[in-house]
Amino acid sequence: MTAVITDIQRFSVHDGPGIRTTVFTKGCNLHCAWCHNPETLSFEPETLFYPEKCILCGLCKDGCYAGARVPCGKEMTVEEILSVVAEDKAYYGNEGGVTLSGGEPTCRPAFAKALFAKCHEEGIRTAIETNMSTSREAVLQAVEEADLVMCDCKDAESARHEEFVGVPLEGIRENIRAVSSLGKPLILRTPVIPGVNADEKTIRAIAGFASSLPTLLYYELLPYHPLGVSKAEALGKEARQFEKPSKELMESLAAAAREAGIPVRAANITK
Amino acid sequence: MMTYFERMKLLRAKKIEDTKGKMSQQGYMDADDYGTVPLPKDYSFTPVTKDGGIFGITACIENYERFMANHPVYVDPLEILAGRWRDRFDKYREANPWPSYYSYDHLKPLQELYDTNPGIAKWAHFAADYSIGLRLGWGGILEKVRHYRALNTDPEKDVFYDAEERTVLAIQGFISRHIDEIERLLAIEERPECKETLKEMLEANKHILSSPPATFLEACQWMAWMATVSRMYNRDGAGCQLDVMLLPYYRRDKAAGILDDEKAKFIVADLLLVDTHYYQLSGPDADGNDMTSELSYLILEAGCWLDASCNLTVRWHENMDEKFFLQAVRTIFEDRRGWPRFSGDLGLMKYTKNKGITREIARSRYAVGCHWMSVPGREYSLNDTIKVNVAKLFMVAFDEMMASDEEKSLETLKKLIKKHMEAAVDVTAKGILFHMKYQHKVFPELVMNLMMQGTIERGENISQCAELFTFGIDGAGLGTVADSLAALEQRVEKEKKLTYEELDKWLKCDFEGVQGERIRLMLSTSERYCAGNSLGDKWAKWLSETWAATVKGYPMPAPAQIIPGWFSWSRTIQFGSTVGATPNGRHKGAPITHGANPTPGFRKDGAVTAMATGIAAIQPGWGDPAPLQLEFDPRLSAEEGGIERVADVIKTHFRMGGTLVNINVLDKDVLMEADRDPMSHPDLVVRVTGFTAYFCTLSPAFRKLVIDRFIDGM
Repeated sequence: MTAVITDIQRFSVHDGPGIRTTVFTKGCNLHCAWCHNPETLSFEPETLFYPEKCILCGLCKDGCYAGARVPCGKEMTVEEILSVVAEDKAYYGNEGGVTLSGGEPTCRPAFAKALFAKCHEEGIRTAIETNMSTSREAVLQAVEEADLVMCDCKDAESARHEEFVGVPLEGIRENIRAVSSLGKPLILRTPVIPGVNADEKTIRAIAGFASSLPTLLYYELLPYHPLGVSKAEALGKEARQFEKPSKELMESLAAAAREAGIPVRAANITK
Repeated sequence: MMTYFERMKLLRAKKIEDTKGKMSQQGYMDADDYGTVPLPKDYSFTPVTKDGGIFGITACIENYERFMANHPVYVDPLEILAGRWRDRFDKYREANPWPSYYSYDHLKPLQELYDTNPGIAKWAHFAADYSIGLRLGWGGILEKVRHYRALNTDPEKDVFYDAEERTVLAIQGFISRHIDEIERLLAIEERPECKETLKEMLEANKHILSSPPATFLEACQWMAWMATVSRMYNRDGAGCQLDVMLLPYYRRDKAAGILDDEKAKFIVADLLLVDTHYYQLSGPDADGNDMTSELSYLILEAGCWLDASCNLTVRWHENMDEKFFLQAVRTIFEDRRGWPRFSGDLGLMKYTKNKGITREIARSRYAVGCHWMSVPGREYSLNDTIKVNVAKLFMVAFDEMMASDEEKSLETLKKLIKKHMEAAVDVTAKGILFHMKYQHKVFPELVMNLMMQGTIERGENISQCAELFTFGIDGAGLGTVADSLAALEQRVEKEKKLTYEELDKWLKCDFEGVQGERIRLMLSTSERYCAGNSLGDKWAKWLSETWAATVKGYPMPAPAQIIPGWFSWSRTIQFGSTVGATPNGRHKGAPITHGANPTPGFRKDGAVTAMATGIAAIQPGWGDPAPLQLEFDPRLSAEEGGIERVADVIKTHFRMGGTLVNINVLDKDVLMEADRDPMSHPDLVVRVTGFTAYFCTLSPAFRKLVIDRFIDGM
């Protein structure tokens, strides 16, 4: 079984507990306005172009070594991915392991399940980062072998969610509830986007939803960063840029979220 | 009333000013901070030379005596310990360190061909046994020298005893002048807290002038003197297992109610301020029991009080106090001064594979140098002074292949690398034997001999009579050569993108022009060392195994043994300057890779786990290190589990056989700003290689070395 993979990142420290290897699948069903991995949107291999790195050798067709034309997306088998993931097995300990991310990994549910099953055979713990917006069937299949589910709840208002993300909110929330009811440990996350959802009312509402999830480990606020902008430009796409949330804003939102009586983390802000 | 902490804060500010002063006197230093302070403007010293240098025991002691009597004293009422060195005696030997009448011209052609650092004429780089000094004191040492001198009947040895006796007297004279200075300052000091500590300083120095130290303060003052006078003789920087050495004094004084932890911290911080000697903390004893104590924690905290350049190493082992280990890791992130470092017991215990090395000896081989360990009092090792530029050796082999009629292939190249490696080890080993034969007649270890086993008893320099002669030979340029071999296999042999002849042409013209640049980029993007199961990893392993087998296979005459390691120290720039363009896409004259680290940019994600695994796999396996140098973003510690993640990387590396881990935690914006304007951050301390230094004291080339590694680790 194969999937198109954009990257495999070792010593990943932002994609779950412990030391992890994150596998980025290519292709996403959503189109968030603030996407920081725009190269993972298309399901097909693509080429990123960075003209400033071009050395004008005129031999593009023979392969670019200057980093001006960077191929993105490679079809890999479960076994090939596992061999990379296993390289850091000694570092995973009791907490770390593999994280399947994207793109949207539940777009390839059978692949996710197969990869996780193989990881379990090797004694490697598994986690998935998902937007939970695919069909219930796909989500449940993808998370079946996941030891940990990290999922987004990007907003509290469905209409705004649809405007900025592309789909309404309800189905996502139902999928999250369904996964939690299976007993899967869950981390709920919200990308904090000033001008969209970065207000205490919205965050309180999402935190309230989080508090209703029986298997919630904690709720996490992720500050928006504009790293996707240059990648979008390299793909010849337009990217919308938002303001970066301040530390003070992140702290006040985290405080608002804590009112729901749940554990809250805000990346780089609080321990 | 100032608290001890406030005093240390003032001393830190003063140190920053001193650093600026040193910069204006010396320019870029590109070396350890050493704890020195600027020299007075009217200071000068003119040695008495003969045959163009200072050679032989008599010339050394006569000059050292004059040097010590002439060297300015240093007492700061803010401190509790006296003394600081500013000038070195051996500096006056540097222009001509070896007399022409002991010629090694016959070794020079091959030494130059392989760009070796032969170790000939090198000094120190082994460890004195501080317990000898603490037990005897300067008076007891003097009595010991006189005792054996009286028993001696050999006139030649009498010269040795005479010099050692005069060395102790010169040291005591230097301390006496400080006692006078303390008394002078005491008479005019008005701050009650400083007056009080000046009194303590005075009493301590009066007591240890002849007697063994009796209190924690006296023991630290004694160590400060040892560090100072030994540095002043020949820049010896080897300390000891600090927490174990000081523990009896600490517990005794605490029980007697004459010491509290605030004061103990101030004393230790002052000891670390006086000199950046290398000290080890924690680790296992001979039986494998953890040596961590409450004093280990206190020393870490004292280092944080100092908040400056410092060289503390924590030896990790399976039975270690986990809380202390995590505290040590946290210190790197909170203090961001490049310390402590970590050494790995499992890998270092491979030292027992060498002849005559028991577990007890291997356990007592403490980390007391840039990347090296030494057995206090018992070992003469010249560690870190003997190196072979393996990148140069590789290009000698490559050039020979290209000039020969033999088939151009990796198999031919491997054969030639082995041949030249054997020749390089042979000439290096002969250099070591030459050094052993003559060093005592050229530059005896007058200060360190006092704290070694057997020297005074036998009337011999340590280079003649050490119990262990285990000389480390470090290869330099592992990543450059491994990547070059990988590029040859991938681009030339497998993909056939170019022939050996074409490659040779591009190397000779240093990848000239746009097409040359394309070739260079193609080579540099081959499967690199530390990328993870890559061709570079495969070749690095082959290279290290071949290096270890060649070094250990050399028939070194007993009692000498040679031990393989990988370390460049800060000579990556110097070594690189002698090497033409290499097949890994490195330009002519560019630095070779640092220590055992990969070429910067070895992986897109710069994964430290990939580097830690790659470097663990190339350990030569005889107990001498091949260090892992890591750079971390400080934000990692702010994340849940961030410290634990770094701790897991260190532990896993050591479980895989890793030997030494150096870590920098630097804020990218600060580092970049400091590079643009070094004096904008005069207090920024980085671990350059085995040593820490103020970033502003580094030349642009050295700063680039740190920045390239750092960017890679982000």
